[in-house]
Amino acid sequence: MTILIIIAVAALILILMYNSLIAKKNQVENIFGGVDAVLKKRYDLIPNLVASVSKYMEHEKSILENVTKLRSEANKPGLSDKEKIELDTKITSALGSIMVAVENYPDLKANENVMNLQHNLTEIESQISAARRAYNQAVTDYNNAIEMFPTNMMASFMSLGKKDVFVISEGERKNVNVKEMFNS
Amino acid sequence: MKSIGHLTDFYYNTLYPTLQELEEQRRALKDKIIKFGILLAVAGLLIFYFLTDGFKSIDTDMIIFFIFALGASGAFLYKILIKDYASSFKTKIIEPLIHEIDDNLRYDPVYKIEERIFIDSKLFTDKIDRYSGNDYVTGKIDSVDITFSDVHAEQKHEDSKGRTTWSTIFKGLFIVTSFNKYFSNSTIILPDSAENLFGSVIGSWLQSKNLARNQLVKMDDPAFEKEFVVYGSDQIEARYILTHSMMKRILDLKKKTGKPVYISFVNGQMNLAIEYDKDLFEPSVFRSLLEYQVAMEYVKTLQLTVAIIEELKLNERLWSKR
Repeated sequence: MTILIIIAVAALILILMYNSLIAKKNQVENIFGGVDAVLKKRYDLIPNLVASVSKYMEHEKSILENVTKLRSEANKPGLSDKEKIELDTKITSALGSIMVAVENYPDLKANENVMNLQHNLTEIESQISAARRAYNQAVTDYNNAIEMFPTNMMASFMSLGKKDVFVISEGERKNVNVKEMFNS
Repeated sequence: MKSIGHLTDFYYNTLYPTLQELEEQRRALKDKIIKFGILLAVAGLLIFYFLTDGFKSIDTDMIIFFIFALGASGAFLYKILIKDYASSFKTKIIEPLIHEIDDNLRYDPVYKIEERIFIDSKLFTDKIDRYSGNDYVTGKIDSVDITFSDVHAEQKHEDSKGRTTWSTIFKGLFIVTSFNKYFSNSTIILPDSAENLFGSVIGSWLQSKNLARNQLVKMDDPAFEKEFVVYGSDQIEARYILTHSMMKRILDLKKKTGKPVYISFVNGQMNLAIEYDKDLFEPSVFRSLLEYQVAMEYVKTLQLTVAIIEELKLNERLWSKR
C-alpha cells in the first residue's frame, strides 16, 4: 500500500512538472504570436513612411533603402523567432534614425501625412514595447523552469532548449517615451 | 493645476469671513455636545444604578451591553447635533474650494459614485451588502473626465447565534477617470499583501493561485513589483498600459498618499481607490477650522485627488486617443 502511495505521489509530481513546462512553453509561443502581430503592423507602415519622406530625404537614401530591405527580409516566410528578434532590433534603430532625420526637414515636419505616420508609428512602438516586455517575462519564466532543479531534469528529457529574449535599450527601460526618441 | 499653496491661501483669505462665522457655530456646537455628553453619561449612570439595584447586582454582560448602548446613543445624538453644521461647512467651504480648483467641477455633498460603477471596477471581489458614500465631485480637468466620491462598502456576517456584524470591504476615496489609451481587456493593480507577508517566492506563488482573479502579470520593475500585484486578461495589454513611466507614477502616487492604492483599467476607464480610515471632507468639531493642520487636511486631500490627473499624465494625448 505504502509503495502504491509513493508511486502515485511521484507520478503526480512528474505530471505536474511536465504540465507546468508545457504551459510555460505555450505561454512563450502564445505571446510571441502577439509580438508578431504588432511587428507586422509596423512592417505595413514602412512602405508608406518611405514613400512620404523619400522625395525630401536625398541625403538619407541609404537609411531608407536599408529599412526597405530589412522589411522585405522580415516578411520572408519561415523565419525563426531568433531571426525575427534580431530584425526587430535593426528595424527599430533604422526607424529611429529616419525620425531623427525628419527633424532636419521643416517641410516634412509640417507635412500632415508624415505627422500622421509619426503618430501611428509612436503608437505601434508602444504596443511593440509592451509585447516585447510580455514576451521577455514569459521567456524568463520558461528559461528559469528549464534551468532550475528539479524541472531541469524533466526539461532535458523533453529536450526543451533555452530561448532568447529581446534586448531592451536602456532608454526604453527607463521610460517608454517614444515621443522623445522621435522628437515629435 | 492649482497648487496646494494657492488653495491654502484661498482657504484663509477668500473664505475667511465664512470661516469665522462657522468657527463661532463650531464653538457653540462643541459646548452643546459636551453638555449633552455629560447629560447622557449622568442619565446612563442613573438608569444603571436603578437597574442594578444600587450597583448591587452587576454582571459583566450587563456592563458590556450598557457601554454599547451608551456609545450607540451618543453616536446617534452626535450625528443629529452636527448635521446642520456639517452641511453648511460643505456648502460654504468644500464647494468653493472645489470650484477654485476648477470651475468645471460640480459638487454634491450627499450623492456618491453608483454601486454599479464600484462593482464594475473589479477592484473588490467580495459581495457587497451595504454601500454608502457622499461628497460627489464630477467634471472635466484638463479635458480629462473625472468623478470621485467618498465610498464605504461593507459585508454582512452572521454567526451561529444569529448575531450580525459588518466588515469593511473598502472605505475611502473612489475616483473614475477617462484614460488616454484604448484598451479592451481588464488590468487590475492591487496592493501586494501576499508578497509582503510571505516573501517573494511563496507570495508570488500564492498570487498566481488567486482564483478570483485573471492571470498574474509580473512586472519588470522591482520597486513596483514589491508594492503591487497586477492581474490581467491580456499580458501584452497590461504592459501597454503599465509602461515604465506609468509604474513610476503610480509608485509616486502611493508614496504621496501614504495609503493603500487600488487601480483598475476596465471598460476603457481608469478606476482608482485610495483607502482612508475616515470620512473625508467632514468638519471637525473639536478642532478649530482656522488651525493650519485642519485646513491643510481638506486642501491636501482635494488637491491630491485632482493632481492625480497630472500625476498619471492622463491628459497626454500623445497616444491612440487624439
